[in-house]
Amino acid sequence: RVSSDGKPPKFQPPPKPVIVDRKTQKEESRFLSPEFIPPRGRTDPLKYYIERKDMIQRRKVFNIPEFYVGSVLAVTTADPCASDKSKRFVGICIQRGGKGLGATFVLRNVIEDQGVEICYELYSPRIQAIEVLKLEKRLDENLTYLRDALPEYSTFDVNMRPVPRMAHEEIPVNKVQVRMKPKPWSKRWERPKYNIKGIKFELPEHKMKAAQKWSQPWLEFDMLREYDTSKIEEKIRKELSEELEK
Amino acid sequence: MMPIWTKSGEKRPVTLLKVQDCHVLRYVSKEESGGKTAKLLVGGKNVSPFSKPESAHEIFKEAGVPRKQKVSTFNVTDDAIIKPGTPLYAAHFRPGQFVDVTAKTIGKGFQGVMKRWGFKGQPASHGQTKTHRRPGAISTNKAAKVYRGKKMPGKMGNIYRTSFGLKVWRINTKHDIIYVNGSVPGHTNCLVKVRDSKLPTYKDCNKNPPFPTFFADGDEELPEDLFDEEIFQFTDPSVTFA
Repeated sequence: RVSSDGKPPKFQPPPKPVIVDRKTQKEESRFLSPEFIPPRGRTDPLKYYIERKDMIQRRKVFNIPEFYVGSVLAVTTADPCASDKSKRFVGICIQRGGKGLGATFVLRNVIEDQGVEICYELYSPRIQAIEVLKLEKRLDENLTYLRDALPEYSTFDVNMRPVPRMAHEEIPVNKVQVRMKPKPWSKRWERPKYNIKGIKFELPEHKMKAAQKWSQPWLEFDMLREYDTSKIEEKIRKELSEELEK
Repeated sequence: MMPIWTKSGEKRPVTLLKVQDCHVLRYVSKEESGGKTAKLLVGGKNVSPFSKPESAHEIFKEAGVPRKQKVSTFNVTDDAIIKPGTPLYAAHFRPGQFVDVTAKTIGKGFQGVMKRWGFKGQPASHGQTKTHRRPGAISTNKAAKVYRGKKMPGKMGNIYRTSFGLKVWRINTKHDIIYVNGSVPGHTNCLVKVRDSKLPTYKDCNKNPPFPTFFADGDEELPEDLFDEEIFQFTDPSVTFA
């Protein structure tokens, strides 16, 4: 370096390191609750718009957290017959059904060797709190086969502590293969129409092959069954984020 | 259809009815119509004028209104007469009123006697030859004829039916929507006629309805949503039992 005025060059401190946090720069969670997506039909979209306004209104007052089928939830509801006037139930979410205000989710648990399933409505005013104890996904969208699985897969501790989860982490997928009770089952889960990936089938080979007789390979090419929701979802996400910020 | 919750946490199913471009078309006096009361012709839902001849447009031209898809008559007392051409809004009804809803039921086409009239049919096995869904006997021996009105197979549905005594839970004045308790005859997006209930239990239910109708250019400023007292509004916190 050329020294200025013959004096030794002034000390230049090294440039401060710029920490680029890639995780926060990732887009915000693109989760849209499935009951917002309108079903395909001939109803006037005005009806879904009005329903969504009511749903957003409820979400502003009461927090409905993000959860998937396979996460463990604890729900407190108001009950006039209970001594504390409220009831708490912990269970794994088996299925989410319904669209709009009538959206429901079913929680399953095994209490004192008795399997119990309770169907709650997401927007019912009786629900006082929904906590997500463990947020995770499973390999299937519908875990109704847990009714025919060994009870250890549906038991969850009633006083379980919520599992801490870092923000901006991807939702873990639990790839557990569930072992079943001996047949007969409530439904023939080995048939391809249910498309279940989360069961460890211990049936003989010829039975699995016989079940493939009911497969319908032409269904995935059927264009009339396609329902592309990407554009509808974008619009609804925009609407939701605008309304919830108000 | 949509669920609605009361303040005690009970769920009620509710049908949404939209008041779309309703105008009063003509006033028919008691003597002219030959009935007991005067009548008002009301039309709903604008439709293109090109599919009907000019002669059919006379009523609409007199009232100064585009062509309507459906014209229906309402029997009205003399103090409730409205000038032809006034628009009618959903705010004509108030929450807490009881209402009768008439519409054409879903058409099922030509149907057999088991679906149309609920006959029991015959057993599936034990020797029945070619007889499982037939009506069986249609008359007695002594009558020697078949009575008029005998229930037989035929076209089912697509006729006017009314559901009586439906409560109005909520009114949306911005989009002109009436939330009516329970189900209503007809398919989705079909045309429907809404009248004040004629049942004797609900004779004195209308406390202070807008009479003769709700005028939009009047001084009254209504909020966007009108709720019944028992409805749980989503702006309130969750229901708790004391």
